Amino acid sequence: MTSRTFDDPRPFQKQVISALADSQLRANLGHATSTIRNKRAKVVAELEDWEALRDHGAYIKDLAQSILPELIRQVEVNVTATGGKVHFAKDAAEANQIAIALTKSYGAKSVVKIKSMATQEIELNKAFEEAGLEAFETDLAELIVQLGDDLPSHILVPAIHKNRSQIREIFIEKMGRSGVPAPKGLTDSPKELAAAARNHLRARFLESKVAISGGNFLVAETGSIVIVESEGNGRMCLTLPETLISVVGIDKIVPDWSSLEVFLQLLPRSSTGERMNPYTSIFTGVTAGDGPKNFHLILIDNGRTEALQDPVGREVLRCIRCSACLNVCPVYERAGGHSYGSTYPGPIGAVLVPQIRRGSIGKLEKSLPYASSLCGACYEVCPVKIDIPKLLVELRSQNVDRARDQGALTGEKLLMEVVYATFRSPRLFASSLDIARKGASLIGKRKVNIAPPPLSAWTKARSLPLPRGESFRDWMRENHPDHIVASAKAMSGESITKSTTNGLRQLGRFGLHLQHDLAKKRLRGNSDGMASFKVPNHQPIATPYKADLSIGQTIDEFVAPIKAITSSGFTKPIEPTTSYRTKGGLSPHEIVDLFIDRTIDYKATITRCNEKELAKTIQELLSKNQSSSLVAPKDFNPYWLSDKVLKFVTFDDQISHDRLDAIDSVVTTSAVAVASSGTIILDGGEGQGRRAISLIVDHHIAVVFEDQIVEVLPEAIGRINHRAPQTWISGPSATSDIELERVEGVHGPRKLDVIVVRRG
Amino acid sequence: MKIGLMITCINDALYADTAIAVVKVLERLGHNIYFPEQQSCCGQMHLNSGYRKEGIELAKRSIAVFEEFDYVVSPSASCVGTIREVYHNAAVATGDHRFEEVTTTFSPKVFEFSEFLIDILEVEDVGASFPHKVAYHPTCHSLRVTKAGDRPMRLLNAVRNLQLIELEKSDSCCGFGGVFALKNSDTSIAMGSDKFTSVKKSGAEVLCSLDNSCLTHIGGIAEKMNSGLRVMHLAEILAQTGDQK
Repeated sequence: MTSRTFDDPRPFQKQVISALADSQLRANLGHATSTIRNKRAKVVAELEDWEALRDHGAYIKDLAQSILPELIRQVEVNVTATGGKVHFAKDAAEANQIAIALTKSYGAKSVVKIKSMATQEIELNKAFEEAGLEAFETDLAELIVQLGDDLPSHILVPAIHKNRSQIREIFIEKMGRSGVPAPKGLTDSPKELAAAARNHLRARFLESKVAISGGNFLVAETGSIVIVESEGNGRMCLTLPETLISVVGIDKIVPDWSSLEVFLQLLPRSSTGERMNPYTSIFTGVTAGDGPKNFHLILIDNGRTEALQDPVGREVLRCIRCSACLNVCPVYERAGGHSYGSTYPGPIGAVLVPQIRRGSIGKLEKSLPYASSLCGACYEVCPVKIDIPKLLVELRSQNVDRARDQGALTGEKLLMEVVYATFRSPRLFASSLDIARKGASLIGKRKVNIAPPPLSAWTKARSLPLPRGESFRDWMRENHPDHIVASAKAMSGESITKSTTNGLRQLGRFGLHLQHDLAKKRLRGNSDGMASFKVPNHQPIATPYKADLSIGQTIDEFVAPIKAITSSGFTKPIEPTTSYRTKGGLSPHEIVDLFIDRTIDYKATITRCNEKELAKTIQELLSKNQSSSLVAPKDFNPYWLSDKVLKFVTFDDQISHDRLDAIDSVVTTSAVAVASSGTIILDGGEGQGRRAISLIVDHHIAVVFEDQIVEVLPEAIGRINHRAPQTWISGPSATSDIELERVEGVHGPRKLDVIVVRRG
Repeated sequence: MKIGLMITCINDALYADTAIAVVKVLERLGHNIYFPEQQSCCGQMHLNSGYRKEGIELAKRSIAVFEEFDYVVSPSASCVGTIREVYHNAAVATGDHRFEEVTTTFSPKVFEFSEFLIDILEVEDVGASFPHKVAYHPTCHSLRVTKAGDRPMRLLNAVRNLQLIELEKSDSCCGFGGVFALKNSDTSIAMGSDKFTSVKKSGAEVLCSLDNSCLTHIGGIAEKMNSGLRVMHLAEILAQTGDQK
């Protein structure tokens, strides 16, 4: 397998040509982006507090930037305290060297990977290949791209440019070369294609020693990593291999758990257009008896500090990689992802890439800020309110200023200066208009269809109007001479009167620089219940690794340039005046109904009973699934299992992954459930077991008591054991990687039965 | 109430009819509108292309030209949008506090034509008659920056004999985008062709919007295709009474 990387340095205008001529690509993209756009619009409209969530999303990220050095130190302390090791990489090369050294030191020849933008950005796969190691992608879309020797073209759906029949061909031709081949007679139905991927990767998950992930959020308060996904490949990588290496950009750090109540509402809705993605994994360091024995976090800078330096441009570091901006962008829809020449396509790529590559601006980076009509659709949907049009204009200005500093004289510059000089002088402007009008009348045409460069760029498909007839100024002179105001004022910008300036001061709109108190405000109540949680047994890294620790930076070296920026005149963000819902308003009865409704919507099945009927209900669900084997957590209440079931149940005691793979069903309790998104959260508490059992087994029965269901996400955050490894489940595993058509059942359990139980 | 007319540089150079229409409609409604002849360009082109220094000078100049008025009316959502948002962004980015203050006082006085009719003059029926099938294209700046909303539709609905036609995917950008139309002309044309196709499909005879810049682009494609589609600024339709032309 070879790893292709983005290496075309040509500007966007050149790279786009082939995409514009590809009608298949345009059809694939048009279909996919409009599907996801509509899905997003529907689930966003359900939330009355969406705008407030956006305000807070933006604020929390800005706040995190302003205290980034402190947050990095907090991450380091918390990850280390929970048995992990943090490495600091200044750039891509350092990050790859660390990942390679670690992988080799654990004796692995290959790794399995969760889809991650950070590892795409640092081109980890290629570095691994060059080091004689293999990195296998496990996300369906990434697998399609990797098998097809292709490049990703979308942040969320990297194979968005491929349709089902193209994917079928890749699977048939390529799967066998690197592992389990595609089944004979494979059709192009998304369900079959997803099943082929499951089959291809199953053994690989069970065998792999090392996994590599990115991270959607990194919670400084506890050192926890959050990974959202759909298929369950992420859970596989995070749970089964002995060693986990997470590569995370410093822009992913959020201060605390109450940040998550905002972002875990914003991200899935903006990204996949779902109320909640099927699986969210959150873990902290190493936990005894659950998941990897060794955990390494590689924090990467790779240009982010340089972006942070720009007071306007740093807004881009709020990005949570949802890709909503791609899906609404009319330029992306025509140009496709590859034209943007990097891992980050679309509007966000056009502003992010030039920012994180400030040190090495080439033709591509220079061209990206112009790859937009400034239509503003991206800003409208951005969950963290990145004003992309503003940033594009800012980057264009920086381009112009840079060229000016270099004394470059271009045709464009000359033209802009001539036009400026004309606009600046009323007499010159008026006479230019007259001359143009006279010239046009000599041509004798109303419009021209052919013009010399640079106007030929216009006329190749558009006629160019010429000034004609009477000018407005002449018309006014004839019809309303008394309504022409001939100001005698010198018309320079400096003539603005004092009265205007003073009038504004009274408005006082910009004097407000509120001080904020991070800790008090943000930890509102969420730690109330923490005392009752059992602190998981976090263990230090089990297997000694001999990786060369001189690679990368010390924390002091890593933090110093960031500190230099944040400690000198860094604008503190202003806390939003809006507020999002932290409590629901429904009655207990309505909350249960909503939960059932939303859970069914994501293709889980619901059974209701009271506690006395629970054993019977579980037995019925097992027989309906024709299950002859069942695994239950060691501390699962045996009174909830019937005599018949007790005969074939295995209570988990670290049984092997291979054995789990052969078991038909698993039953667990849950920690809390969220009605508004149909989400069940497992945090390893009583009766929930370790993560592997509710993952490998294909049929999951989850028991939820009615009083465990809350209406909105923020209510759930306080009920979870933050330091325990968690799995948030919203429906069975699913993928939408093939033409955005949702297929249930990839790597995680393909069937999810939820039993809603009344107490007593 | 002293109303100033900001006709915009593109109308000054190419679309006198639009500017004349604004004057006629306001006159019909009993208002005088004044034309400061020193005006040229709001600075949008320079600001959006990265020529910020020049753009800010032109912005300051425009403010000075119009500062004596109670209201400034302009038949362009993109120029009004520039004054409301881009001026402020440019001021903040350059740390020009004085300009920031001045533009914050100035911009609330500036109204796009349809806003002025509906919000300030509180009229929907301006006494126009236009017996044609018209489709309305919401330009990006009118949709997302000035947020014209249903104002143009309300004005068009009140025009006698006018048949308003729905446009598919009306909110997608036409691909003009100022400097984008030249720097990324291929993508711009691809977008414009899709827009033209949807207008054609709608069966409209006339395409109307709040920005002549976008209409130049869509109309230019229509013209090159000899399609017979007419493009007209909203003001020009509202100026029609059926007695003239």
